[in-house]
Amino acid sequence: MKILVCMKQVPQKDAPLKLNESGTWIREDVSYEVNEPDAYALEEALRQKEKHTGEVVVITAGPARSQQVLREGLAKGADRAIHLEDNGFVGLDAFNMAKAFVAAIKDEKFDLIFTGLQSDDYGYAQTGVIMAELMGWPHATIIMEIQKTESGIRVKRELEDGWFQHVEMPLPALLTIQSGINKLRYATLLGIKQAKNKPLRKVTMDEVKSALGENLQKIEKLYVPQKTKKTEMLDGTPGEVAKKLVDKLRNEIRVM
Amino acid sequence: MCSKKVVRYSIEEKCYMLVFRKPLEGVERPQMEADVTIVGGGPGGLACALRLSQLIDRHNRRNPEAQMSKENIYVLEKARELGQNSLSGALIDPRAMDELLPGWRDEAPLDAEVDDEAVYFLTERGEHRLPITPPPLRDHGNYVISINRFVKWLGEKVEQAGVTVFTGFAGSELLTEGDKVTGVRTDDKGIDKQNQKKSNFEPGYDLKSKITVLAEGPRGSLTKQLVNKYDLQKDRNPQVYGIGVKELWEVPSGAIKKGQVIYTMGWPLTTHEYGGGWIYGSKDNIVSLGYVTSLDYQDPRLDPQRVLQDFKSHPLIASLLHGGKMIRYGAKTFPYGGWFSMPPLAGNGWMIVGDSASFLNSQRLKGIHLAIKSGMLAAETAFEALVENNFSQARLSQYKERVDSSWIKDELWEVRNFHQGFEKGLIWGLMHTALQQITGGRGLHEVYTTHAGHTRMKHLDQLPADGGKRAHLLGKAKGDGKLTFDKLTDLYHSGTKHEEDQPSHLIIHDTNICNTRCVEEFGNPCQNFCPANVYEMEEDASAPKGKTIHLNPSNCVHCKTCDIMDPYEIITWVPPEGGGGPNYDGM
Repeated sequence: MKILVCMKQVPQKDAPLKLNESGTWIREDVSYEVNEPDAYALEEALRQKEKHTGEVVVITAGPARSQQVLREGLAKGADRAIHLEDNGFVGLDAFNMAKAFVAAIKDEKFDLIFTGLQSDDYGYAQTGVIMAELMGWPHATIIMEIQKTESGIRVKRELEDGWFQHVEMPLPALLTIQSGINKLRYATLLGIKQAKNKPLRKVTMDEVKSALGENLQKIEKLYVPQKTKKTEMLDGTPGEVAKKLVDKLRNEIRVM
Repeated sequence: MCSKKVVRYSIEEKCYMLVFRKPLEGVERPQMEADVTIVGGGPGGLACALRLSQLIDRHNRRNPEAQMSKENIYVLEKARELGQNSLSGALIDPRAMDELLPGWRDEAPLDAEVDDEAVYFLTERGEHRLPITPPPLRDHGNYVISINRFVKWLGEKVEQAGVTVFTGFAGSELLTEGDKVTGVRTDDKGIDKQNQKKSNFEPGYDLKSKITVLAEGPRGSLTKQLVNKYDLQKDRNPQVYGIGVKELWEVPSGAIKKGQVIYTMGWPLTTHEYGGGWIYGSKDNIVSLGYVTSLDYQDPRLDPQRVLQDFKSHPLIASLLHGGKMIRYGAKTFPYGGWFSMPPLAGNGWMIVGDSASFLNSQRLKGIHLAIKSGMLAAETAFEALVENNFSQARLSQYKERVDSSWIKDELWEVRNFHQGFEKGLIWGLMHTALQQITGGRGLHEVYTTHAGHTRMKHLDQLPADGGKRAHLLGKAKGDGKLTFDKLTDLYHSGTKHEEDQPSHLIIHDTNICNTRCVEEFGNPCQNFCPANVYEMEEDASAPKGKTIHLNPSNCVHCKTCDIMDPYEIITWVPPEGGGGPNYDGM
């Protein structure tokens, strides 16, 4: 099986964030890491390859620093990497990002494409699904298990409340992988060293530009929530307090 | 994740907690050959790697027929990324970097050039500014940096030069054969709390190295193994340490100028403790401040994190921070011992650089430039050894000769007796410093001895129950949440994170001592000196003294204070699973 894994570099979860001057995104001086669900997507791809042989390719988009996630992918066992390298990729919406990826892999023939369920920074959960749509592939989201069948694959999707759904799909297909589907492996010294010599194809903005359009979504303004913690004591008999409380929940906070 | 909630454990779980990390036996380990393995990706280790790479490049230009490879030169760094475990004030004296990378000032992340210094002696409510700044504390021409960003930047240079940096890998054991160091074993990954393999277990590698360079920073764990194994500290002063507890603040514009440096002595410490505060004005209204407490204090109830909180409460400091916000926290030890505490610098197959080898000027409170220079000199020796294919003690000891004929020796020799003078307290120390100024660093006799700091800690029954003159600075910081903080709040700002399911990397060799003798004799000072709340004594009716020791290894900020200051010498700090530790972004 030939599998493509889309990986994203995101700010580390506990990184102290600061807004940039225009208040539209964060300042760059934070530490980055691999988007967590993408790490599980990579792991799943590597396991599928180990079971069924094939090739694992990792792809990302972003400035030079984002090459780190490809290095990590290669160190853990991916065979080669594709880097859409340009600062301009940072501000793309999910629709354009999907178009850029599809354009970058137009000459490739994958059986499966994995993405993480969603990114830890934007949290769109759209890029993978749109890619499938653009390519006319079937897709399934929130995948917890993948089994190869004679005609394609059988996947287990996580629904709410402990429910799961099993779906049979033909190949090629795109799956968005849920965190926790497997246990992540560690990179090894040898893996890290070998990663240096694995092929890494760079794709410039110019190469995919013609496929892109205007962003349909854009961030107008980011701001830190104002702390408005206020404690109000309700007086009266238990009955009166309950009544006041219900009134507040219904009319002020509007949760009832 | 550092947790803010107090977790209660059952007796079984407590036993669980007290399984200590040890390298697994009977495991087949992958091996890798190395020419040079540098343990530690701080300023010293990275400078060593970069200098070695430069020398190889030069050699290859001059000898097209005899090319040398950098393929097998490695840097091991336990932090997930370079710089994340690096902590310092920091001011950098540019001297060594000017030699390593001419032109570096134009591209390195230098936040401010120092152009204003002041030294204050603090009393509880007042301050006396020294009319002149003593020469060792004159910092004009030095730069305020974030050591985190500086190390990241230097690491990029090293990687661009073609040296492989393995981040997230700790050196867990030194490989030896007889009197020869043959390499380093990296940490086992995927071990659960009871030292059992998890499904993703990955054994540590045996990195077989012609030369092993230890650049682990203060109290390096492999350096400790080496020093103990070959009894290297004999006939030398024991190393002595200080702990710097630091906070990064964002203050209103203009409160503290960019490039402004303030040092303080005195309050909240008494004249019996050695230490002092610092405030460095960086760019963008960021201020680095902290307090150094020398780890040779007498009262086991003293808590260096509390000392920093008291320091900030002083009117002078509080007014500077007014309206500001604490954004980061960290703590790290550093070696005070200087020249006479320096272990042998090289032997069969090994060299030691930077803080691990006592390269720090305790009078100027600076070590980054010395770490860099020592790394460069070790690299020069390593390069020649590689060319000659000779890694013997005789060959590598030329590193020591290089140090002796460099400006490192000039700088450290002058202050060789500086810290020893303060063992008897502040007043004696200042008089002694004056005497040294006159005698070129000698004082009354040539070599002043020193005592390991933990030996000076007194039993509780030898100290006034109410703390006496130290009453104001004992006990845990409560914190007002604005200017001062309790330990857990501070800790939260260190970004510390570890894999939770792993054995404790703080090894207590005899927990009975903690639960019996130490309760009575010292009152379990680990709870106080640890700046990260790793050690807790829990009420336990079944225990002989009503308390048992409990560990939160995931809180550990890798400062090594416990390994240094524990009065019974029963705590050993070993690296946890690689990738864990504080995240000192921007610090």
